[in-house]
Amino acid sequence: MASNNVPLGRRMVLGAGGVLAAGLTRAAFAQGGPQARVAPITIVINQSPWLDSFRRSVEQYERETGAKVDLDVQPFAGSLEKQRNSVRASRGTADLLVMNSGWFAEMYFGGFVEPIHAIEPGFRLDPEVYTLGDTIYFDADTRTMTPRGRLMALPIAPIVPLTYYRADLYREAGIEGAPLTFAQLEANARRLHRPPRMVGIVQRGARGPHTVAFDFYPYLYGHGGSIFRNQAENDYTVTLNAAEGRTALDYYIRLARECGHPRTAALDQAEVIQNVVTGRAAHMLTVVAAWSQMDDRDRSAVVDKIEFAPTPALPGRPTAPGLGHFVGGVARNIPDDRKRATVQFLAWFQTKDAQIALARHGGMPVHAAAYRDPIAEDRRYRWMKPLAESLRHAVNIYQFPEASEVIAVLELGLNRAIAGEITSVVALNDMARQIHTVMAARGYRTGQVEPLR
Amino acid sequence: MWRWATLSPALVLLLALGLLPVLNLVVLGFFDVRWADGRASWSFVGTRHYAALAGDALFGASIANTMLFALGAVAGQMLLGFALALLCSKVTRGRVFWRALFILPVLMPGIVIGAMWKLLLNPDFGAIGQLFELVGLQPVDWLGNARIALFSVVLVDVWHWTPFCFLLFLAGLESLPRDVYEAATVDGADAWQELWHITLPLMWPTIVVTFVFRLVLAFKVFDEVYLLTGGGPGTATEVVSFTIYQRFFTEDRAGYGAAMAVAVIFLIFLMLAAAAAARRRVQAA
Repeated sequence: MASNNVPLGRRMVLGAGGVLAAGLTRAAFAQGGPQARVAPITIVINQSPWLDSFRRSVEQYERETGAKVDLDVQPFAGSLEKQRNSVRASRGTADLLVMNSGWFAEMYFGGFVEPIHAIEPGFRLDPEVYTLGDTIYFDADTRTMTPRGRLMALPIAPIVPLTYYRADLYREAGIEGAPLTFAQLEANARRLHRPPRMVGIVQRGARGPHTVAFDFYPYLYGHGGSIFRNQAENDYTVTLNAAEGRTALDYYIRLARECGHPRTAALDQAEVIQNVVTGRAAHMLTVVAAWSQMDDRDRSAVVDKIEFAPTPALPGRPTAPGLGHFVGGVARNIPDDRKRATVQFLAWFQTKDAQIALARHGGMPVHAAAYRDPIAEDRRYRWMKPLAESLRHAVNIYQFPEASEVIAVLELGLNRAIAGEITSVVALNDMARQIHTVMAARGYRTGQVEPLR
Repeated sequence: MWRWATLSPALVLLLALGLLPVLNLVVLGFFDVRWADGRASWSFVGTRHYAALAGDALFGASIANTMLFALGAVAGQMLLGFALALLCSKVTRGRVFWRALFILPVLMPGIVIGAMWKLLLNPDFGAIGQLFELVGLQPVDWLGNARIALFSVVLVDVWHWTPFCFLLFLAGLESLPRDVYEAATVDGADAWQELWHITLPLMWPTIVVTFVFRLVLAFKVFDEVYLLTGGGPGTATEVVSFTIYQRFFTEDRAGYGAAMAVAVIFLIFLMLAAAAAARRRVQAA
């Protein structure tokens, strides 16, 4: 996960290297008119709640260095298409690819991303930068994402889901503490469920590019389930339809039906958030990036009423949110000067100062030190500590380029189960069979567990 | 000979622009495309993609839904469009205003239509739900209820495309010969007899052309479904264009997506052939 697992000695050495790299970057800019030497770069990025904070960071970078950065902002699915079109051309237009967890594997495996050290051999990753399930590395030989591989990207946005809950309603009902276990979440949601004025919890159930599946991951992994047995060891045996998966899906559906929103199967993320900010829902599990909407006086009826917690888990197990994060990699098919300019931006972006500034702009830092900064004590940034805790346990769901096919299977199966078209057992067995077919067709070492009955 | 020589540049251009992309699609349907080391590698898979279509539950559901959608939407648009055109053809004052009003929806981009209706139909926050509440009715989950979601999308499409039918029918009605109607009036025909024995037979070619146009366009529906329901809940509103989009783009399965697209082109071709045969039978009768 985060590089907190790295031994202290190595950390110090790497840390010194990181500081040195940042210093060198600044020195290079300071010496001779950066406009003359640093090529302008284009960043392809998706429209999202954290975009504004990133944009402000980019503006800060331009002010500090004189470099020129263009943001090519696309809708989520459009961003992927734009990146595909650019990297598959003989000469790309996109320099920095801001890639989501749903597709960076496709870019790594496809050979579209230039390893950072192939551009700047002296580049040092700041050891306090979260490596987000080690997804910034890629080992082409073993086809895995581990630190044994090459540094392919830097984290841009550490997106994981958090539990959002109405602290004011908790106080009124005499409920103490955050809902850290599934039993607590269910009990509290049931207690605050007063339909149609208030639902206990609002969950996402609609099909989309990566919608209901993404929201189901914390339930699945928090119950000890998984989609594959062990991706890091290339064991793609499908375990989705093990007993833990069934418990998780039954729980998800039970919440939806008994203390959730009546239209769960049709709700997308915007509608889920809308229900919370209009004061119609007591809980939601959604990406941390939505935090800024909660306290926006122009848009929210629950200003200062929402608290944040890591997503629940079974007692004795850590929170297990799925990573829906973004990393930034340098396109391979661009001129060398643009590659170097892009790495310079990344070197600046990973520094502690830039990351604290990013938090002040409303973004989520990828640097552990930012979460120890006094800013994390500020009430406005009360999501930072739960996020830091979550990032320690976040799960990288996919390490292979066919992830989009698996996601499509999950989106349909989960949506049908939540809508009541099929039972959870049928859904899980059917999804597991289809995922196994996808993996077997692509030559992965895969298998299936005994189907649920 | 000279005629062919003068036509050939245009023919070559037409073939290049019209047929080459289709040929490329057909060829792609027999290959699997993978990317490695920044380069695409094509591997021949024969008819495997076409065989896989039969077992693709999403494709099967999308074909069935698209048929229902196309027939329902086109029937609604034709009936409403014809009725509006009849009314408008008899209006003498404010014709320009009424025409402009009726064609307004067709001028809007599909994306705007989808966003607008998604807001209107939202049972929690939408205007239609609030109107229902005002009159003491429970808001209806138009897009989230699998039993009525496809019907709701059809309604939106009818709202969107009825003006297209209206315009074609109005143009057809205004070009009908007046003397036939005058003769019928002299013979004592009432309005219903005029419609049944004069207007409909004379309008038949326009009706068939409009039907075929709209059926083909309805078969290609994408933007409304993409925005309103995303194909859900479950597979209730899954349509072929959306399935192709998912397979081709979201899942990046270019070969399989191409095979799916070719299959759909073939289906549309069959539909057009059936429509042409029906037209010939009617004309012969």
